[in-house]
Amino acid sequence: MIFESDVCIIGGGVSAAMLAEKLSELKPGLAVTIVEAGSRIFDVENRARYRERSLEYGENAWPGDFIDDQAGAGVISRTMAVGGSALHWGGVTNRFSEEDLTLKSRYGLAVDWPIAWADLERHYCEAERRLGVSGEPGPLPEDRRSEPYPMAPMPLSYNLRVLKEWADKSGIPFQGTPQAKNTRPYGGRAACMRCNTCEICPTGARYSPDFTYKDLLAAGKITLHDQTLVRRLVKSPNGRRIESAQAVSRARNGEAVEYRAKTFVLASGYAWSPHLLLLSEAANSSGLVGRYMNGHAFIGAQIELDAKLYPGMNEQHSLISRKYFRCAPGGPFVRHDLRVWESSAGRDPRLKDAAGTLLLGDALLADWRARTARGAARVRAYYDVHPSVESALTLDPARKNRWGDPLPSIRHVLDEATVARKPSTREHILAVFNQLAKANDGRVLNVNEGGYLDHPAGGCRMGTDPKTSVCDSYGRTHDHENLFVVGSPTLPTAGCTNGTLTFVAVTLRSAARIADP
Amino acid sequence: MTVSRRDALKKLAAVPALIEVGSSRLQAGDPRLQAGDPTLVALAEVVLPAESDRKAALAAFAAWIANYKEGADTDHGYGVTRVRATGPSPARTYPAQIAALDAAARGAGAASFAAAPLDRRRAIVEAAVADAKIERLPARPTGGHIATDLMGHYFNSSAANDLCYRAAINRDACRGLAGSENPPGPRTSDFGPRR
Repeated sequence: MIFESDVCIIGGGVSAAMLAEKLSELKPGLAVTIVEAGSRIFDVENRARYRERSLEYGENAWPGDFIDDQAGAGVISRTMAVGGSALHWGGVTNRFSEEDLTLKSRYGLAVDWPIAWADLERHYCEAERRLGVSGEPGPLPEDRRSEPYPMAPMPLSYNLRVLKEWADKSGIPFQGTPQAKNTRPYGGRAACMRCNTCEICPTGARYSPDFTYKDLLAAGKITLHDQTLVRRLVKSPNGRRIESAQAVSRARNGEAVEYRAKTFVLASGYAWSPHLLLLSEAANSSGLVGRYMNGHAFIGAQIELDAKLYPGMNEQHSLISRKYFRCAPGGPFVRHDLRVWESSAGRDPRLKDAAGTLLLGDALLADWRARTARGAARVRAYYDVHPSVESALTLDPARKNRWGDPLPSIRHVLDEATVARKPSTREHILAVFNQLAKANDGRVLNVNEGGYLDHPAGGCRMGTDPKTSVCDSYGRTHDHENLFVVGSPTLPTAGCTNGTLTFVAVTLRSAARIADP
Repeated sequence: MTVSRRDALKKLAAVPALIEVGSSRLQAGDPRLQAGDPTLVALAEVVLPAESDRKAALAAFAAWIANYKEGADTDHGYGVTRVRATGPSPARTYPAQIAALDAAARGAGAASFAAAPLDRRRAIVEAAVADAKIERLPARPTGGHIATDLMGHYFNSSAANDLCYRAAINRDACRGLAGSENPPGPRTSDFGPRR
């Protein structure tokens, strides 16, 4: 079967949803086809039941949101469905900071992004409007905004109010995290009901892309082909254009499907976008497809403090300080966010006490109460690390899907400067944790360090030089005039806080160029 | 052709949850998993706190067992790349464990576990947990032992969280944003309905 359209978007996650929505506004009547390997899970009416099963039995809250044999090594989410990872994201929508875009010119590290902060900031505002973000202005002048948040902030729970008082004593300014969660009806979705299970929001108050897709489909603005896996991009004879995308229909026993379009957009995330380019031997004259895979590292801790808290009020919401997004040029380089949550981790009911005595009934309850008499907070810092060119997604010939295509394998490698400063970064972050603990007669109970890079990105990094980048600042590949990459793969570096809002902002910035290439 | 553990569990799920354990047969609705069963009530008196609503806790446990699905795909959220399926029903092991509790009670001179004095029941449960080599409270029932499964089910519940903190936190309920800034009110009862 052959399908033709003006724009063919490969991948059906949050970037594709936002892009399709904006394209439909910029150029009504534009024929947009979205091709997604996974299934559509649009049964919002069943979410309360899925939530129950997830809580009670640990069952998948998004049944069918993966493909059995489409899994890569080092890929940290299995989700492959219409909506992508943003089906079950936490909805945290922190912005990066200006420093992220100017690492080379400010600090002599990594690379600068080919985007000016004011330009990105404008698209942050747009992303916040489209996703529906609730938040409050930050206390630091560097975090000034050109527009207010679309919605009032999520109220701090009693626990977070107590923790904010505690944290403020340390002299570090905190605020509630901005979130793509409705504090009033917004975008046709309900206000948050504080169900404490944001990964499966039964009310739709937390944004997920399925709502956008359903709206666009109902209005006849897009064509959506799910359960269709694109296996190759086919180049024109001179190599300057992409002529078609060759796919197989999972729903129709592997029937071959061909997509022809004036413009192709890869919106398949940090893993599957570079993966398809490598399979297609496309956009890779620089040799950098699948290179500079990035993300941020993290250190967390549990802090006991002198406060009465009630874990379970709203464990998904947290405080953030952006104080350490900046560091003075010339000083030691360390950049990180700082988050605080209510937490009961490590203080759960236990079967045996420290001496190994079995605890039953009243004894167990007494032990639990004694260990939770004081409050506890979970703190975590995502810190800025930079990838080496060896930080790579490669095709693994030993692992193939049912179609015989090698699957991706991601191995993150940090650059020398990042490795060299790791001890001082760790020392700094632990000192901040101790500063927080001491502010209210507390103590750090334990420290844990992440064994992977979170909020991964990269693999098709943007830049102005075709020798050192895969695409330009709008995602247009240097090699193929009608092929764009959007979202997370284009990021040269991954900042030091959650990435989704940034993925969406850079995608929205690309939309006008994609509409009018 | 290789069969993954997940596929095997899915196939297993297609078989009715019915097994032979000695002369006893267990399936959903087995009388010994009814909340009012004397053995379960006697067990709850040992392993659940006196302050808890044991009757409600047993009813919730029995409902959990009855509604368990074998071979269901489990959460594979962010950071969890392996897709797993739920295993055999934990209840498959319970008839033998209950029979062993009764046998131990008879060995100690009682007619049954339910008829044994509280101290003796506690000693029997302690020995059973030791024999089963269970070191941690399970987050959900696993079949390791019915005593620790009942404890894990209760103590990890929203109701037990409220009991511990002596407050109506209602962790698993949808509560609305209004009043979030206030401390939770006093605890009222166990296992209220989720909203």
